Amino acid sequence: MINMHHDNGIWVSTEDLNREESFLQSAEKEFSVENMAETDGQWAASRRDFLKLMGFGLGAATLAASCEIPVKKAIPYVTKPDSIVPGVANYFASSFVNGSDYCSILVKTREGRPIKIEGNSLSSITAGGTSARAQAMVLSLYDTRRIQSAGTVENGAVSKLSWQDLDNKVKGQLQLGGNIRLITNTIISPTAKKALAEFTAKYPNTRVVSYDPVSSAALLAANEQCFGIRGIPSYKFGEADVILSFDADFLGTWVSPIEFARAYASKRKIKSVQGATMSRHYQVESHVSLSGSNADTRIQIKPSEMGAAICALHNEVAALTGGSSISGPALSDKAKAALKKAAADLVTARGKSLVVCGSNNVMEQVIVNKINDLLGNINTTIDFSVLNNTRQGDERDMARLIGEMNAGQVALAIVWGANPAYELPNADKFKEAFAKVNTRISFSGVMDETTALCSHAAPAHHQLEAWGDAEPKTGHYSLIQPTIAPLFDTRQAEHSLLEWAESANLNRDDEQPYYQYLKSHWANDLRAMQSKYNTGAAFWDMSLHDGVFENPAGPRTVAFNSGVSLNSAGVTQPASGAVEISFYETVNIGNGQYAHNPWLQEMPDPVNRTVWGNYLCVPIEWDGNKKMNGWMNLNDGDNVEVEVNGKKLTCTVVRTFGQAPGTVSIALGGGRESGGCGVGYGVNVNPWLPMEGGMIQYFAKAAKVEATGTVDKHFACVQHHHTMGLAATDAKGNTINADEQVLAYQGSLTDRSVIFQANLKELPKLAEKLAEFHQHSDHLNTQTLYQDNVEYFAAGVKWGMYVDLNSCIGCGACQVACVSENNVPVVGKKEVARHHEMTWLRIDRYFYGDLENPKVVYQPMMCQHCDNAPCENVCPVNATNHSMEGLNQMAYNRCIGTRYCANNCPYKVRRFNWLDYTTADTWPANEERLFRVDGADVPFYADNLVRMVMNPDVTVRSRGVIEKCSFCIQRIQEGKLTAKKENRAILDNDVRSACQTACPTGAIVFGNLNNPDSAVNKAAAGVGDLAYQVLEEINVRPGVKYSAKIHNS
Amino acid sequence: MLLKRICWVSSIVLLASFAAQAAPNVEEGKNLFIANCAACHNKNMKDNLTGPALAGVEERWAAYPRTDLYKWVRFSQNMVTEGHPRAVELWAQWKPTLMNNFPGLTDDQIESVLLYINDVANKKPTTPAPGTDTAGTGGGSGSGTNMWVFAGLALILALLAFALMRIIDNLSNITRVQAGEAPVNRTLLQVLTTKGAVAFLVFAVTLIFGYKTVDNATRMGRQQNYQPEQPIAFSHQLHAGANKIDCQYCHDSARRSKHSLIPGTNTCMNCHSAVKKGTKSGTSEITKIFASIGFDPITNKYIPDYDNWTDKQIEDLYKQWIGQEYIASNSLPAMNDAGRSIVQDQWEGIVKALKNDSNGKIQGPIEWVRIHNLADHAYFNHAQHVAVGQVACQKCHGPVEQMEEVYQYSTLGMGWCINCHRETEVKFKDNDYYKQFERYHQELKDGKRDKVTVADVGGLECQKCHY
Repeated sequence: MINMHHDNGIWVSTEDLNREESFLQSAEKEFSVENMAETDGQWAASRRDFLKLMGFGLGAATLAASCEIPVKKAIPYVTKPDSIVPGVANYFASSFVNGSDYCSILVKTREGRPIKIEGNSLSSITAGGTSARAQAMVLSLYDTRRIQSAGTVENGAVSKLSWQDLDNKVKGQLQLGGNIRLITNTIISPTAKKALAEFTAKYPNTRVVSYDPVSSAALLAANEQCFGIRGIPSYKFGEADVILSFDADFLGTWVSPIEFARAYASKRKIKSVQGATMSRHYQVESHVSLSGSNADTRIQIKPSEMGAAICALHNEVAALTGGSSISGPALSDKAKAALKKAAADLVTARGKSLVVCGSNNVMEQVIVNKINDLLGNINTTIDFSVLNNTRQGDERDMARLIGEMNAGQVALAIVWGANPAYELPNADKFKEAFAKVNTRISFSGVMDETTALCSHAAPAHHQLEAWGDAEPKTGHYSLIQPTIAPLFDTRQAEHSLLEWAESANLNRDDEQPYYQYLKSHWANDLRAMQSKYNTGAAFWDMSLHDGVFENPAGPRTVAFNSGVSLNSAGVTQPASGAVEISFYETVNIGNGQYAHNPWLQEMPDPVNRTVWGNYLCVPIEWDGNKKMNGWMNLNDGDNVEVEVNGKKLTCTVVRTFGQAPGTVSIALGGGRESGGCGVGYGVNVNPWLPMEGGMIQYFAKAAKVEATGTVDKHFACVQHHHTMGLAATDAKGNTINADEQVLAYQGSLTDRSVIFQANLKELPKLAEKLAEFHQHSDHLNTQTLYQDNVEYFAAGVKWGMYVDLNSCIGCGACQVACVSENNVPVVGKKEVARHHEMTWLRIDRYFYGDLENPKVVYQPMMCQHCDNAPCENVCPVNATNHSMEGLNQMAYNRCIGTRYCANNCPYKVRRFNWLDYTTADTWPANEERLFRVDGADVPFYADNLVRMVMNPDVTVRSRGVIEKCSFCIQRIQEGKLTAKKENRAILDNDVRSACQTACPTGAIVFGNLNNPDSAVNKAAAGVGDLAYQVLEEINVRPGVKYSAKIHNS
Repeated sequence: MLLKRICWVSSIVLLASFAAQAAPNVEEGKNLFIANCAACHNKNMKDNLTGPALAGVEERWAAYPRTDLYKWVRFSQNMVTEGHPRAVELWAQWKPTLMNNFPGLTDDQIESVLLYINDVANKKPTTPAPGTDTAGTGGGSGSGTNMWVFAGLALILALLAFALMRIIDNLSNITRVQAGEAPVNRTLLQVLTTKGAVAFLVFAVTLIFGYKTVDNATRMGRQQNYQPEQPIAFSHQLHAGANKIDCQYCHDSARRSKHSLIPGTNTCMNCHSAVKKGTKSGTSEITKIFASIGFDPITNKYIPDYDNWTDKQIEDLYKQWIGQEYIASNSLPAMNDAGRSIVQDQWEGIVKALKNDSNGKIQGPIEWVRIHNLADHAYFNHAQHVAVGQVACQKCHGPVEQMEEVYQYSTLGMGWCINCHRETEVKFKDNDYYKQFERYHQELKDGKRDKVTVADVGGLECQKCHY
């Protein structure tokens, strides 16, 4: 282990460690001035610009001359629906289902338009938690590039057909009797399956071919072999004392991350210093996944060593439990030793441990099953009584389909939800074969790569416009209900299928035929499963209200099939020498399904903190002396040429701590070719994915990386933006405050306190250290000229927040929720590269521990609402000031844009509107064109459709003003008003900030600090001295408390 | 001499203010005008509305006996058919608009109305156009008096200054003469172009312009007294005043939402499915409601597929209704020309009021002109004020129950909000929410504090309204 002296042992990057000049400069500058005047050649004024400017000039002159106030209309309803009170939000229970992702949600609508997603606490699966993907779904509803009508597809565009014409055409083709294939992702909707069954009954030549964007085929196959069940069991992370994951990113993307994150965090929360316990988490992987970054011990291996590592663990466990060992491939001693320790822990926690594996190799999954069997975890932490249905696809089926299509055996193909022309490794072959199908129909709502190859588009509704249901886990049913009338001339996919099947059960005269179809399925078939509600109507109403109906099956025990032989020849064999590359799914983009969502594109990847694209992660090496360098001396933003399987792509490098030596990695989901704003960002690495036994492997054993000498001039990594509180060593080796050094005077304090961390074993020691720190800070803070303002805040409410860094897994749901709630603009890659990202809440990533394989702390950082706020007393116009509720207020209309406050903010949480991000700039060179309206690309928020997503209770900020986290003041005001109207004291549940409600692990608690019984006070009090304020010693009196990060290794 | 002047000026001022409220019948005339004439004739008497502006009506009828004018008011259409030259002239100008008959008005009452008309016509307008905010409310005549006082004072001061200057001149001439120099006699022009006078003038002009600029900039976008014409001549005076319908019967979301909400047509129909004709307007206004929602007043039924009706269908139905009612109320045996003209006129009124610019349809929502336009960056919540603060609607909206046509009563400026927050007492003891303000409760108990205002609980803080 390499350890360099660094105060608190915390660092953020190599530049930080090396104290490079460039870093100090970067830290100094809150806003980058590089590229400031850069224009990309768009600057030259066009005729349009001239006319625009002239128009503006004339308009301004006219306005100034007459000052006429335009006549505004107030248009009431003709017949006002009882349920709608303009100005009051309605919430509808629904579900987010996309590919393998599921989340039970509440949709917040205002005046009939959905504007925000909240978690549904009635679901036992997600329990009110959400993911970044679920939060962002509402934006994709208002995408200007959605397909707006049915029609024929020519050259990537739809020429309109009426639905009736389309139906006639399709029915004509269907009735010819050729083979029909439906290409889908896993379908978890029981009613859709029923509709499909009707379709198949009508056309018996139909077969449904399903695959998943990121495959779990091997897991399914292994479970079938071992337990006779082709399904994914329920993993109980909340009951596991020791968790070992072989490359399964269960907190970020694997199977059911929201559910797992909540359960995982419940075992990681420190409830009191005395007798604290927490689960222990090992992660075996090469690239740093979200789960890996949260692990107590990361065991670095090369991707090709996965089989060897699994065999090694098996043998260690077998040795301790009396199983027979197998002869696996060789593994490095270091990894072996680490796995030996892990095995001992796992065996100690027999029956309460859990081994999961994300590999797509059947034998590896079989051995993992055997390990769990040896550990007695089957039927305890691995429960087959309730199966997870979200991944049932098998890419081998797709290979078969490609064969059929090539042989001309498929007459008609319907693509539903899937995008094989992009997602498949053999997309080329697919495209070639697909062209041989006579009629190709797509249900896709956007012109994605596959739809562009289709002959007909039958665009389905967006989920927020559609009816539907889901059964993500057996017996757990979940409804999808529309929250807005369809924006375009689209039609429910199931409706199309039933229409084409000429179903007698579809009442075409009804306004919403599929609604009746769905309702009858629930009111009849599902109602029979319960006894609480006697009538179909009552059951339906209840289910629609709750959004979920849960009727889990009773316990079922399974046994490991003794007939299964473990054959280590089936596992991945280690490669020697060459650089290996692994491919992973990020929490925001998936395998490209979410690439067209600007909120997700602009959400930094939690681990490497890059936005807008996928970047090649290369390891960081210690030069043996005092410097950490990127592998091959590569730097962030360098372009390299990477060759895998003979295919070359140019990727941009991001150096990543913890990336295993001798390996590189890159995320899936970049380089989309059509369908929306994600086109042109990153590279499509799917063609690089090798197939092994028909299954997609998410690594390649040999990659050739060559420096090109060029750089990505818009390399957008937010890691070095808005830095604060960094310790460093000066030339003489003394610890100094980096901020102070580069910013001259900023508070005259040297021992900065941003992150505290300790091993669980050393918890009492940390508590002691922190108690001393609190005392010291108190001492410093009482030497103040400011009067104590305790009494001022004592009357009424005082708002505060507590963030449990031990529960925070860095998933980013809060960040997207904040963007959605507060109308935070998307600025695009170029602007992010200039430090201009506008997010009010950022998730800082800090490292500690071993330099080459460090541990990670995620710290959500938002305005700390300091009671002695440094920003407030430097504002020349008093635009930012304090409320008696402890809020640091920002009055946009008063702000004149001096940015003194942002300079003086020790937390660097204030954001400046450099450009008119919300209403489109007059000068086209300034902003990235993310949306397309009437054939012209326009910036984000510049068109009326996207603007429908805005929260009408939050002002849209214009150019030249500062903005920042308001503690969701609109929610505070609403909550207070509710309490006042009901003549009662304010309760915790009246006000919950957007980040709090989005968090799947309950890491963020918000509430009234003046109420000793409030959740926020109790949570902070529970950890005693472990709760601290960031930069507590500088007497700014923040309103946010964090808890120290504890690991258990 | 000075004293004499002051007396002179003030007597002018006094006389002017008396003159404004001379004749005893004006008040009656005003009431009669509002009840009978205001639906068609503009209250400012200067602009045409449905009917002509009434200012100068006596002069226009001066060539004829006074009784002709009375008759015209009572039975105008009869005079047209009889061929009275002035009546024919008016009809030629205004047809097909008909003037209603007012057989009930006495000669005296008509005289009162005429007095009122003259009174208004000779006064300054009391409802300025948008953007021309006046201090306070309805203070037209008051500010006029002030103007006279200020003008008088300015004159006196100017004379005083002139007199002083003459004295200084004379005194300096005396010293000059004593010193053996020749006296200098400056002309008025010379006096007015001295450095001091010019500097004063520049200073005064700068001051006035500066004040006006800031003052106008502050008022930019404000529209106190804004009183736009609405698609339906809905009378709050009748509904809220005479009929005493509670404000929140129609504006029902004022207590639950930030918006007070203009009621949907279905709310109107709660009463107007029974009240199908107005006391003053007859069929002309209420039929607009029916045409909006698709109510057939003849059969008393809602039209099921009204959305799909063509303009022609709508026209036929409501013309039939208006015609039928005209015949019934005038006890006519059959439709006459005047009736047909009324039907056409009212139908055009419906089209004007309801035709939607974007989809060209007649059926659908009524597009009212929004009067209260708060700036986008200011958050205002009706529920907070109505349900929690229990502020009467009139506090901000003025005496709506007396308004025939609603206008914006308050400035809606920030200073106006702030002042109210400073003065208004919070319902502190009645609402359990405020229990948490323990310090204030203690202070109230100890007598250190006599009230808790909105400002005391944070009502002046920026983010109470701006976020």
